[in-house]
Amino acid sequence: MRSVALFLKQPLVVALVLIVALLYLGESLSPGFASADQILRLLIVASLLGIVAAGQNVVILGGREGIDLSVGGVVSLSAIIAGNVMNGADSGILPAVLACLLAGAFFGLLNGLGITLLRIPPLVMTLGMLGVLQGLLVVIRNGIPSGRAAPGLSAFVTQPLVLGVPGIIWLWIAIGVFMAFMLNRTVFGHRIYAIGSNEHAAYMAGVPVRLMRIGLFMISGMFAAIAGLCLLGYSGSSFANVGEQYMLSSIIAVVFGGTSLAGGKGGYTGTMAGALLLVILQGILTTVNIDESGRQMVFGATLLLLMLFYGRGRAMRA
Amino acid sequence: MSKLRLNGVSKAYGATLALRRGDLEIAGGEVHVLMGSNGSGKSTLCKIIAGSVRPDAGQILIDDKPVSISGPQSARAAGIGIFYQELSLASHRSVEENICLSALPVKGGLFVDRAALKARAARYIALFAEVAGEGFHAEALVGNLRADQRQLVEIMKALASEAPILIFDEPTSALDRAQVDRFFEILRGLKAQGRGIIFISHRMDEITAIGDRVTIIRDGETIETLKLSETDPGTVIRLMVGGASDMPSARSSAPAVAATQEEAAMSVRKLTGKGFRDISFEVARGEILGLGGLHGQGQSALLRAIFGASTVTSGEVTIGGERYNAKSPRDAIRRGCAYVSGDRGRDGVISGRPIIENVTPIHYLRDRLMIARPSSLRDKAMPALEAMHTKFASLFHPINSLSGGNQQKVIIARWLIDRPDVLLLDDPTKGIDLQAKSDLFALIRELAGEGLGILLYSSEDAELLGNANRILVFNGGSVTRELTGDDRTRYNLYQAAYEAA
Repeated sequence: MRSVALFLKQPLVVALVLIVALLYLGESLSPGFASADQILRLLIVASLLGIVAAGQNVVILGGREGIDLSVGGVVSLSAIIAGNVMNGADSGILPAVLACLLAGAFFGLLNGLGITLLRIPPLVMTLGMLGVLQGLLVVIRNGIPSGRAAPGLSAFVTQPLVLGVPGIIWLWIAIGVFMAFMLNRTVFGHRIYAIGSNEHAAYMAGVPVRLMRIGLFMISGMFAAIAGLCLLGYSGSSFANVGEQYMLSSIIAVVFGGTSLAGGKGGYTGTMAGALLLVILQGILTTVNIDESGRQMVFGATLLLLMLFYGRGRAMRA
Repeated sequence: MSKLRLNGVSKAYGATLALRRGDLEIAGGEVHVLMGSNGSGKSTLCKIIAGSVRPDAGQILIDDKPVSISGPQSARAAGIGIFYQELSLASHRSVEENICLSALPVKGGLFVDRAALKARAARYIALFAEVAGEGFHAEALVGNLRADQRQLVEIMKALASEAPILIFDEPTSALDRAQVDRFFEILRGLKAQGRGIIFISHRMDEITAIGDRVTIIRDGETIETLKLSETDPGTVIRLMVGGASDMPSARSSAPAVAATQEEAAMSVRKLTGKGFRDISFEVARGEILGLGGLHGQGQSALLRAIFGASTVTSGEVTIGGERYNAKSPRDAIRRGCAYVSGDRGRDGVISGRPIIENVTPIHYLRDRLMIARPSSLRDKAMPALEAMHTKFASLFHPINSLSGGNQQKVIIARWLIDRPDVLLLDDPTKGIDLQAKSDLFALIRELAGEGLGILLYSSEDAELLGNANRILVFNGGSVTRELTGDDRTRYNLYQAAYEAA
């Protein structure tokens, strides 16, 4: 009996139970909500969020109040870069991918350098970087939408690829497998947990703490860039601040999945469930005609509630 | 008439007797010195007088009248002022506010009387005006002061209590010569006023310079009170050490350095850094070199600096004849150096993670691994953990599920998977049980037998005397004496530790 109770308290199990419950709720509010087509669509949207959250996840696991608030800005920037580089031609996809990854890595590097060398707290550093990115977006675009997705990219994101499932969902699954492997079976992964749970002990055991931390922010930037590219494929063209919503929702997905904001504890599988859950919640809110501002309020309240449930008795800055 | 008298005061923490029997008598107009080794019960005795620890039994009399001291406030009311060894200052407040902190002058029952505060603080600041050094003034923030200046503020704060009975627990550890001299002049003035002063210091020269009488505490018991003018340092140290103090440590327990292994595992030349200066020595392969002396005399600072965890300002370290001077722990590990800290919570344990991940980080680095395969890691980890007799159910259980001693064994095993050339042990048995300690030292001697050079700092003299081939005694950041062969006695160790730096 106790083990059942314990099992039900696992964040991952909680998330999965909630997913089923929310799908049921959605279906009863609006028949067709849980149809196969709809679920595929939800999965596509969840993939975009899940990819951003993968980067957010490693940064948070790395501890020392690690958090990346600039992911939304990188998503938007990457969507614009991709749109302009490929400009509707399939031949431009590969250069676009490279350009986006480069941009994501670059801004992640700046975040990492600011946090490790200048000792700026991650919250402040990445928030500042978000401001810089938003300004940059206004400058390069001058308010006018530009660039189009290549048909190949759009197909990858929206059309069935294998077994009737679009490529982006396969990509997300692949990222899930990669993350699980990296965190559990590589030295790099073990070191992420080590610096997240006791940075000083990790340093004394020869872990290159600063280099690791810079690396984590670069990974976060690159995942956000991939998500930005895919988002362009999903919407066809990029529009103003297309990535804005990912800042808050990526953090919620990570926390929902059982990763501690204090670092050193958690993993990506839970984050995937968290991302899915959030997207379903968002779908339900849309179904019952709650607008964007209302959805943001619900998201914010969700994060606070989660902190209440998971964070109890554990100081954030442990 | 005595100013303060303690009759049969005792204090136990659980099963540990911190103070078995404390009898003490302080006369008005004397400086009474308390002496005893680390953990002998001096601090407990002071805390009982100052009201921060309540005794289990015994009687306290002030001016021959029994008093009950229920807390720091009531101690102050009874006329007791204390200088705390671990300074009790508010670092974001000014010098003058700190001096008056325990009794802020108030006007109208509500507001701090700034003028009165300034005037009161100025009196005590003036006492040290010539020796306080640059940047020391009434409005300076305590957090911006040097260590010696902060210690002066704590002294001023104790003086400002104007208590008839004053306790100074190691008040001079950070002060320079001139500051100590000035402080002693002030103490003599207080003596002349008829106050009773309790003074704790580990410097024999200071004790003979200022003290009138000395009470020796050993193993939680006040042994004897002597007039300092009628005794000599040797007698005091002998009383502190207790019986069998002149016996050389058992030779059988420490392996002799094998003749074939005369080459140095590590040599240190004129090494200077934060907390230690001008240290030179060689550790032969197969040798256990002990670092002795009182706590915090530079032993840990030296070990951490050798390991690259703090900076070295000058000097050279070589391993196997090659210049080594590590820039970081990572660098040190790569060149065959290992460091086991007694503070496992801070330096060792990766909390919440499985035992296996706590054993393997050094192996990852030294073997330049990328992939962590549990099956091959298990083969590496198990022998190291078994050598330490570590008790655990599964390699994949979190390290927090183990007892403190077993956690420390896991941390030590971490360093043994790939054998280092030099092993630095920084009080490695702190807070672990006796069985774990003896397991650890058996292993350390075995490792020395395999040709490792080992540096051992321990806060327990028995561990040094029982295991080290040679002992370097640290005092005030430098080595003041080297004990070899039959000189390795408790008496010599204490004498070197307590003599003037």
